[in-house]
Amino acid sequence: MNSAIQTEWLAYENGHFRLAELDVHIPHGRITAIVGPNGSGKSTLLRLMAGLLKPDGGDIIIDGRAAAAYSRTDYAKKLAMLPQSKDMTPDLTVKELVAYGRSPHQRAFRHRLTSDDNAIIDWALGCMRIRSYEHRPFHSLSGGEQQKARIAMALAQKTGILLLDEPTTYLDIAHQLELLTMLAKLNRDHGITIVMVLHDLQQSAAFCHHLIAMRDGEQFASGDPKELLTPRFMRDVFHIHAKVSFADQYPIIVPIIQEEDEKMIIVTNTSQITKGDGEKLIERFDRIGKVEGMEGFLGLEVLFTQNLKEYDEVSIVTRWNSKEDFQNWTRSEAFRESHSGRKTPDYIISNKITFQEVKIRRNPLPPSETVEPIAQ
Amino acid sequence: MNRETRAKRRLILLAVSLPLLLTCAIAGLVIGPVPIPLEDVWNVLIAGDASTYRVILLDIRLPRLLVGMLTGACLAASGAILQSVMRNPLADPGIIGVSAGGGFAAVLVMVALPQLSYLLPAAAFTGALIASLVVYLMAWDKGASPVKIVLAGIAVNALMGALMNGVMVMYSDRVQSVLPWLAGGLNGRGWHHLSFMLPYAAVGLLLTIPAIRSANLLQLGDDSAQLLGQRVERQRMLLVVLAALLAGAAVSAAGLIAFVGLVIPHALRLLIGDDYRYLLPLSIIYGAVLVAVSDTLARTLFDPAELPVGILLACIGAPFFLYLLRRRSNWR
Repeated sequence: MNSAIQTEWLAYENGHFRLAELDVHIPHGRITAIVGPNGSGKSTLLRLMAGLLKPDGGDIIIDGRAAAAYSRTDYAKKLAMLPQSKDMTPDLTVKELVAYGRSPHQRAFRHRLTSDDNAIIDWALGCMRIRSYEHRPFHSLSGGEQQKARIAMALAQKTGILLLDEPTTYLDIAHQLELLTMLAKLNRDHGITIVMVLHDLQQSAAFCHHLIAMRDGEQFASGDPKELLTPRFMRDVFHIHAKVSFADQYPIIVPIIQEEDEKMIIVTNTSQITKGDGEKLIERFDRIGKVEGMEGFLGLEVLFTQNLKEYDEVSIVTRWNSKEDFQNWTRSEAFRESHSGRKTPDYIISNKITFQEVKIRRNPLPPSETVEPIAQ
Repeated sequence: MNRETRAKRRLILLAVSLPLLLTCAIAGLVIGPVPIPLEDVWNVLIAGDASTYRVILLDIRLPRLLVGMLTGACLAASGAILQSVMRNPLADPGIIGVSAGGGFAAVLVMVALPQLSYLLPAAAFTGALIASLVVYLMAWDKGASPVKIVLAGIAVNALMGALMNGVMVMYSDRVQSVLPWLAGGLNGRGWHHLSFMLPYAAVGLLLTIPAIRSANLLQLGDDSAQLLGQRVERQRMLLVVLAALLAGAAVSAAGLIAFVGLVIPHALRLLIGDDYRYLLPLSIIYGAVLVAVSDTLARTLFDPAELPVGILLACIGAPFFLYLLRRRSNWR
């Protein structure tokens, strides 16, 4: 499959943000979606391809020719883009705005539209189904209508490639679907190569032939969206757990909502005790430890090992919500009382404390079919 | 406002513009401390009669009127262009330091090098250009954003004003001749003012024709303009130079007149929208009308005292500016 756009070792850096050597392939005459989490470089990739940003390295090849070899106007005849920016748009009617799309084709001092120009403007208005309000001022339109007018302006450039940066953001679901259907029709009827940054993965799989997934400035995966979209993909790219299924070719992604990971602290206090004296330590801890009432205390185990040769070993394992809770215990009145003014008993040979911070992961059990006891 | 009313308004404004300009010009010639009957104006100007009014008309009122109209045209065109370049509806050569730069250079020439007064417009243009370049470069950071340009413009404006005051303090004995000029007046403007301003103004006004397309495209925003094949930074630079040329020409003849570049393009925008194909030519004509009318009023309102036209324009312009601020709340 030949490429409409191909990047080779494309690199771009801006502050902390960095696009690593990208080899991206945009198939000719198809619809490609670029997806990925916020800040993964989707828009940057699109803006690089549109020539709005200068790459720090590598090449962009448009229709077999290096992008740098095109003049600005020739580029504007090859590739059009709907930028994401919400620039202040001048006070113009829809048709006047769309007519600006013809400017790369006009000569420097000719402002008058030829009949060809007018035919193309009319075609662009028709494609986006906004002919009925072509004479209304742009500012009086709704968000969805404005978006269509802006796309019509890009269409009026009559390019083989159309890039769109989040065309459906800010639109309601009906307008989103309407817009994507129009774009699909444009691609089908006129063979326009379409590349768009989309946030909705379901839409990207339903409407696009090709998917590019970005993660941390790299191309993480690319290919047929219906094959790419798996629970594993969701986890790797977006760090979420989700089930993916298809209903009549339309993918359905159901996120599994997880509570934030719970954590706890395990403090293990292991003492070596002179042989035969282990019971004494346990008895002492029971007497003066006073741990049960402390805040954040989750539970304790006492492990007593007597089968060692030289000494007994006692481990007192306490579990806490946080390290602070444990430290509060060691600073508590009860604890201080029990430790101050008393010598460490001489049956303790050595003593070691370890902390562990662990995640609590409880696998939810499948719902059991317990039978409710019937009230008598 | 749909297309029909807007198209109608364009047509009306265009049809009215030249007759209105002519009427204002005639009024400017007729009205004054010495009223001159219309038929005498005709006799002197067209038939070449050597009446008693000849001196008043030919040596005083006519050159002053022409300088005023040219100044208004240049200022309005300069303001309209700056508003596109900076994508800021409040841009005006007087507000972002361009006029002040020209003014400083002009004051320097007038006070320190009075024998070189024929260089006034060149100096004013150079000063205006340097001020606009400074504003532009200060605001540059991978492209110059409108907000930064306006902020840098305010700083440059203040600096130029301070320098101007400094020069005037140092040459305080010669300041008397500069003061009316500073307030923005047309008093005493004669043929030689017109002759040294005309080449700059004519070139500048002619260059607005090829500037129309870039001005139109730049107001779509940098991204869109670039995607439509414009070399945005270069175009913007050329437009800044053009705006400086126009402002410099106006400043050299008429001094610091503010608000024409703001009021005229804006009033037109409200009526006919933002298309520079109509906005720029109409701004030029109505800028000339505004200054011609204002100067006639300034000459006669407080007769025998004469108000500098800049003061009158500020009295009209400042309230209009405030009205605009309140009316359009969607400015960023």
